[in-house]
Amino acid sequence: MIIDVNAYLGHFAFRQLRHNTADALLRWMDEKGIDRAMVSSASAITYRNTQPANEELAHAVQSHRDRLIPLAVINPFYAGWEDDLRACHEQFGARGLRLYPKWHNYALSDSRCHDLIRAATERRMLISIPIRVEDYRQRSWLVDVPDVPLAEIVELVQACPEARFVLVNGAGYTGSLGKKDNGLPANYYIEISRLSAVLANEIGQIAANLGPDRLVFGSGMPFKYPDPPLLKLEVLDLAEEIKKQIRNGNAARLLEWPSR
Amino acid sequence: MAAPQSLTRRSFLAASAAGVALARRGLGASEGGSEAAEGEPSPVIDCHAHLAHHGAADWEARDRRLIEAADKLGIDQLCCSILTPKRPATAEGFRECNAWAAEAVERFPGRVLPYCYVNPGCGQEAVDEVRRCIEDRDFMGVKLYNEHVCTDPVVAPIVELAIELRVPILHHAGHGHHPFPGQPNISDGGHLAELGRRYPEARLICAHIGGGGDWEWTIKALRHASANVFLDTSGSVTDEGIVEMAVDTLGVDRILFGCDMSMTAGVGKIRGARLNPDDKRKILGANMQQILQMRG
Repeated sequence: MIIDVNAYLGHFAFRQLRHNTADALLRWMDEKGIDRAMVSSASAITYRNTQPANEELAHAVQSHRDRLIPLAVINPFYAGWEDDLRACHEQFGARGLRLYPKWHNYALSDSRCHDLIRAATERRMLISIPIRVEDYRQRSWLVDVPDVPLAEIVELVQACPEARFVLVNGAGYTGSLGKKDNGLPANYYIEISRLSAVLANEIGQIAANLGPDRLVFGSGMPFKYPDPPLLKLEVLDLAEEIKKQIRNGNAARLLEWPSR
Repeated sequence: MAAPQSLTRRSFLAASAAGVALARRGLGASEGGSEAAEGEPSPVIDCHAHLAHHGAADWEARDRRLIEAADKLGIDQLCCSILTPKRPATAEGFRECNAWAAEAVERFPGRVLPYCYVNPGCGQEAVDEVRRCIEDRDFMGVKLYNEHVCTDPVVAPIVELAIELRVPILHHAGHGHHPFPGQPNISDGGHLAELGRRYPEARLICAHIGGGGDWEWTIKALRHASANVFLDTSGSVTDEGIVEMAVDTLGVDRILFGCDMSMTAGVGKIRGARLNPDDKRKILGANMQQILQMRG
């Protein structure tokens, strides 16, 4: 079984996405052997009021809840986030949040952001943070949104020790986030889609230095082909048991599913 | 923690279109009968790779890891250059790099096909270096970086020599909507298309569609380029549809597989592209092989 912690539905403002409906994504997942995916709305990345996008997502996954796990996109600086969080969790069944601090122009260190994370964590929701949406070199003339600096993530995981973070679309975890005995709470997981599996082999380094229980599979579908991260799992010089943890075991634990 | 490697080059290729070629050599799993109608077997050639500069303490290990990665991923040959760490490169700097590239051919026989890297701004020294590397050292092509936009007249002598020697030029390229820091003279697909019009006998490879900014812009800029302008698929960007759009817009014969050191991204995007096996075979090596055969 493969659980993908990094997938999306809907439209992105700056590039056409294909296979971006629930049915199309599921067909694609079937082709690639991916069983379940955490999905959020790609449209919500650039909506001011993200809640209609969360509603669209909830509707789209309604009849596929066995395979598509909804995450809500919420901006803690937008009016009514508390109501939106409650609706996303209680009505839509969102299992987590996806936060875009740079796209939504707020600081991860701000107390309002911590309030949102705390409120979501009380509901046992995950906090997924895309370090980037797309490669910075191809960004539109309209926007100049930087990647989320990993130093800000370090501060966040320390500031919110009870939360469970899933860092997606990131790379370069050679600093403290990728090391054991880093003084940080063990409250974050690192998704592999942008990590190398050969040459520098960042996945192997993180498995060795931080622990294989902290790595999770993600694809970035439908922004990206799922094949590169699937290929990484194939060629990694890691024991099959560890690969299985990355494929599904660690994500299942995050989702608090009974172990198989 | 490390376990014995579970995926062999053979088993990987059996799962990808590259297996089409190797299946015929008896290395891969058996394939469907439709292959009989497809093209001749061809090696998998990464048209855009780099060996390490010897100023790096671990250059030997890095080079070895590149070959090991190629083994794992089913890449038969890598077209490699060595770049100077600082640019614009001096003549002394690129001559040193090319000497190391020549040594690498000896260290990895049959695996490394070297590009001669020069800075065209060095004038006759650059021209002399290209001739020495191609004629005396049997390099396979020329690598140009971002010292000059490719349509700058200073580049013309290198292009004309590459035509004379019948070797391709791999040209660094990118197009962003914000400036690329430190690259004021970067070429883009439009420049490469223009250069191709000026020199229809040249074989020009526009580098790394997956590492050069807005890839949709680049593909559209190359749409009306002449058939002597190719596009390589390398780079870390694995956006869905990138390979298909390149093939649909430019035609499969102008697309070349590359990684530019983003190894699983390079192989994975070809694996993921919705193309028929024969198109993948062309991209993975047959097209580059035709370019290499120009020299006769």
